[in-house]
Amino acid sequence: MAAKRYTSMAYASADEMTFGVSKYPVKAGLGLEIGAGYTIPEVNYAPRPEAGASKEKLIREYERITTDIMSRMVQVGFPAVILETEHVQQMSNNPSWGAEVAHAQKTIMEEYHDEYGIKCALRHTIGDIRENRDFLQLRGDKYSVFLEAFEECAKAGADLLSVESMGGKEVFDYAVLRNDIAGILYSIGCLGSIDMELIWSDIAAIAKKTGTVAAGDTDCAQANTAMFIGGGLLDKNLAHTLAIIARAISAPRSLVAYECGAQGPGKDCGYENVIVKAITGMPMTQEGKTSTCAHSDVMGNLIMQCCDCWSNESVEYHGEFGGTTVQCWAESLAYDCALMNTALETKNDKVLRDLLMLSDRYRDPQAYVLAYDNAYRVGEAIVKDGENIYLRAKNAAIECCNIVSEGAAGKLELSRFEAKALADAKAALEALPDDMDKFMDDCLTKYQSEVKVFLPENYGF
Amino acid sequence: MLDFTEASLKKVLTRYNVALEKAMTPEEAAEELYPKDELIYPIAKAIFEGEEDDVIEGLQAAIDAGKDPIALIDDALMVGMGVVTRLYDEGVIFLPNVMMSADAMLAGIEFCKENSQVAPVTKGTVVCHVAEGDVHDIGKNIVTALLRANGYNVVDLGRDVPVDEVLAAVAEHNPIMVTGTALMTTTMYAFKEVNDKLLEKGYKIPFACGGGAVNQDFVSQYELGIYGEEAADAPKIADAIVAGTTDIAALREKFHKH
Repeated sequence: MAAKRYTSMAYASADEMTFGVSKYPVKAGLGLEIGAGYTIPEVNYAPRPEAGASKEKLIREYERITTDIMSRMVQVGFPAVILETEHVQQMSNNPSWGAEVAHAQKTIMEEYHDEYGIKCALRHTIGDIRENRDFLQLRGDKYSVFLEAFEECAKAGADLLSVESMGGKEVFDYAVLRNDIAGILYSIGCLGSIDMELIWSDIAAIAKKTGTVAAGDTDCAQANTAMFIGGGLLDKNLAHTLAIIARAISAPRSLVAYECGAQGPGKDCGYENVIVKAITGMPMTQEGKTSTCAHSDVMGNLIMQCCDCWSNESVEYHGEFGGTTVQCWAESLAYDCALMNTALETKNDKVLRDLLMLSDRYRDPQAYVLAYDNAYRVGEAIVKDGENIYLRAKNAAIECCNIVSEGAAGKLELSRFEAKALADAKAALEALPDDMDKFMDDCLTKYQSEVKVFLPENYGF
Repeated sequence: MLDFTEASLKKVLTRYNVALEKAMTPEEAAEELYPKDELIYPIAKAIFEGEEDDVIEGLQAAIDAGKDPIALIDDALMVGMGVVTRLYDEGVIFLPNVMMSADAMLAGIEFCKENSQVAPVTKGTVVCHVAEGDVHDIGKNIVTALLRANGYNVVDLGRDVPVDEVLAAVAEHNPIMVTGTALMTTTMYAFKEVNDKLLEKGYKIPFACGGGAVNQDFVSQYELGIYGEEAADAPKIADAIVAGTTDIAALREKFHKH
């Protein structure tokens, strides 16, 4: 299907948004309704490296992981859980491997559901295998295997289908290391969105055919790369004011999945999901303080503010004092959800939402822009030119700059370096043309010349 | 909406980067470090500013004035790059500045080579690769840029590099060090194979590894492994090797932080 662009906001105001409640709840798996008035822990894990030696070892590893999580949820009395399996490359390159893992996991989850009534669902996140050693190969031979992996997993038991797609990454990796704001806009906002439309039209069709849910994507490959390179307060690799501009631009890119038929919950590491939720009203998974097992961030509480599912990003499966890692992190996530659900049931949800938000609001420009009130403003800037993938990404970037500038005039402290990077970025954005064709032509010429691994045919040019 | 007072905010968080920011601007700090020679100064400044055209213009002027093109690599380009890497190490400038300066420096080196019959001498050769099965190469790209910025010849094998290709490159180029980067836990196991095959062939050279899921505990498990937590550690490890510290245990003592 063609993308049906968003030109208006799902919520009438930012204050309408909170955790556990979405405008369009999603029914999935075994008795779950996501975004329907309660939050759900979503546990994510990685097999031990040696488990990838054979299909049998890999399946056995996921069986252990699944059983461990389900048993801990029951032992501590939690009513619902989602398991997310992010494919290791063998599972997507060989769709039957992914399918057999999904089947094994779902069989165990069904047993727990039947015996204890625990509500649960299984997300499979297919690896974006569309590349070879030298180049991204987004539309090449591997595309059919990529789609087959979705379909086989869906048929075998996966309830929610996701991917962390990589369109635009070859240009982004070059641009982000050179403070090149036009390149960041082109790679995420334009190239990323073009690729998203291709793949999510096909993924949504597979979900429809298999009776599963096309859940959503994340700009992990780009906006999270910027966030990770940005690092902590004392790291000197990227201004955090640039990292948040990349994040703002990623929102209209990740939005494309929902414009092509995805229904949510959006994938955990999409910190842009709060903006996407404001626009679509669809449920979103987020991660923050409970994903410190995988990476650090500067908004660990704030990002919980409007989540529907709450994730730990990923943890390698092994033993800890308190059980296996998946048991420990599942329990932490579920206790957080219990607190949010208590707030919802006692009508204190907006108080808790605001406490979570405020505790990090001024920690960093990234947190400041993703605070739900400011995220809503970025959403408004996107839908203002919702039909034009270039203009809406540019709008998001400019609004992001405005929000940070306003914050810096108040309680948001910026270093001189961050302030200068912001001013330079804003000037670069304001110098860009309004005409998408001109921008695309200029960028095509520039990056074909400067980025050796950029193949325009990946984007249908 | 809830909000802090200025006083209450300070009890919840501190933006240490603002509190600790150096008084001097990067441009002021660089100005203090540029060489004073009137032919070299504009080249060094153009390197700092990442302006390739100005670097070439400055080199041409210096060559026209009688300077040797190959000598200019060390005397002008590397001096300018030295200003950049020093200010990066001191936290005055950020990585993108280094990357843009490195691009300008490489353009300058090519120009010098084109204008000379003699090959330049580097501090040493480093073979860099991304682990087999792994296509995430932004970390490797940063490492190679920083090594080049510090005067090393880099043999960049790219991403998803088969173990035997790493061995072949070591045999061909006789490097002082090999680097390996990986994002994923599932691919970093290739480092052990590289290590074992290097030892098997009798190459006892430092193998600096880092990236995404790679950690010090893992890298310490194989004999030649040295963990680099930051990309910026790579040239520092290389410098230590060039200065005479080639023993793996001594390098680990110096660079392992945890």
